[in-house]
Amino acid sequence: MCTAVAGIALAGQGNRVGILDLDLQGASTHVFLGVHPGLPKEDKGILPVSVLDNLCLMSVAAFTGELPLALRGAEVSEALRELLAVTQWGMLDYLFIDMPPGIGDEVLDLARLIPRMEAIVVSTPSPVSVAVVERLLAVLGEMHIAVPGVIANMVRDSAESVKDLARRCGVTFAGEVRYEPGIESAIGAPVMLGRTRAAAALLVALETVQFSPKAARIRGVTRRGGKG
Amino acid sequence: MHEWALADAVIEATAAALEGRDPACLRAVNVLIGELQAIDREIFDFALTTLREEKPFRNARYKLETEPAAFLCAACGREWSLKETASLTVETREAIHFLPEAAHAFVRCPSCGSPDFRVQKGRGVSISSLELSVEEACR
Repeated sequence: MCTAVAGIALAGQGNRVGILDLDLQGASTHVFLGVHPGLPKEDKGILPVSVLDNLCLMSVAAFTGELPLALRGAEVSEALRELLAVTQWGMLDYLFIDMPPGIGDEVLDLARLIPRMEAIVVSTPSPVSVAVVERLLAVLGEMHIAVPGVIANMVRDSAESVKDLARRCGVTFAGEVRYEPGIESAIGAPVMLGRTRAAAALLVALETVQFSPKAARIRGVTRRGGKG
Repeated sequence: MHEWALADAVIEATAAALEGRDPACLRAVNVLIGELQAIDREIFDFALTTLREEKPFRNARYKLETEPAAFLCAACGREWSLKETASLTVETREAIHFLPEAAHAFVRCPSCGSPDFRVQKGRGVSISSLELSVEEACR
């Protein structure tokens, strides 16, 4: 959810935003954005589908619709490389790459293929999510992938556990997105999603995030916990 | 066209493979085209010809060969070819053309029906070998 809403919010400010949904086995960004992508158009590659002015999406759903896609590790890597190689994004200000939870093939492959990638990490305050994200941060650190910020998502009471996590791992706590029951009814309606409190909170968080100069042209998002 | 992006990648891979060698000594590039990729060979060939015009190996030939697709079921061990797969619609073939792994959404093991199979051969585009002049190859 964070990737889709952050993309909508930044596009609403006039930024050119692309979202690449690399959660190949659980693609859902198109659902948040209300897109039913058919086969992509071609122009010396494949073109992402336009969602709103300044916002476009590439997802495996363009090829498989809502059918399940049972892939093993090597095939995840092949599909990921194919999508990265043939998608023609044009000029963008932000490319958000929505990732599945954890430290699987997608994270390892991206770290290798896009060494300038920077990861905005999302965690709910749940101890379960925090524990998993702590391991993810450790691996990102070992791979020298910069983490310009951690965002707390679906915060009901306190985001203290995520703030503690950020302190322990030496990364910036970028902000929190409060639990927002009404957001469910905005799923599939990007204009409405752009008007949610989550969208406003994510804009504040992204302003807090300090990307390094090396990430000036490619910015990535990874997520973990709850609905991400 | 998708073929142009793939041709561009092949040209760049050729240049990378030649690093440290005299590119003018490249005689031919053998390219394997996976059956699942279902590339339009005419467009692909035209794209290769056009894109290599500005490269120092512009006179090299690109020899294209199709690699038949082969699947292996992880559940029952059955091996099968694309011909043995239940007929695929034009749209499905097109989806697989763009993203060969999309086959996992549409193809099932013909023996046990499992979706857990591996594409052993016949995906993607790869350079199988380069043919260099004898002098350069012996360097």
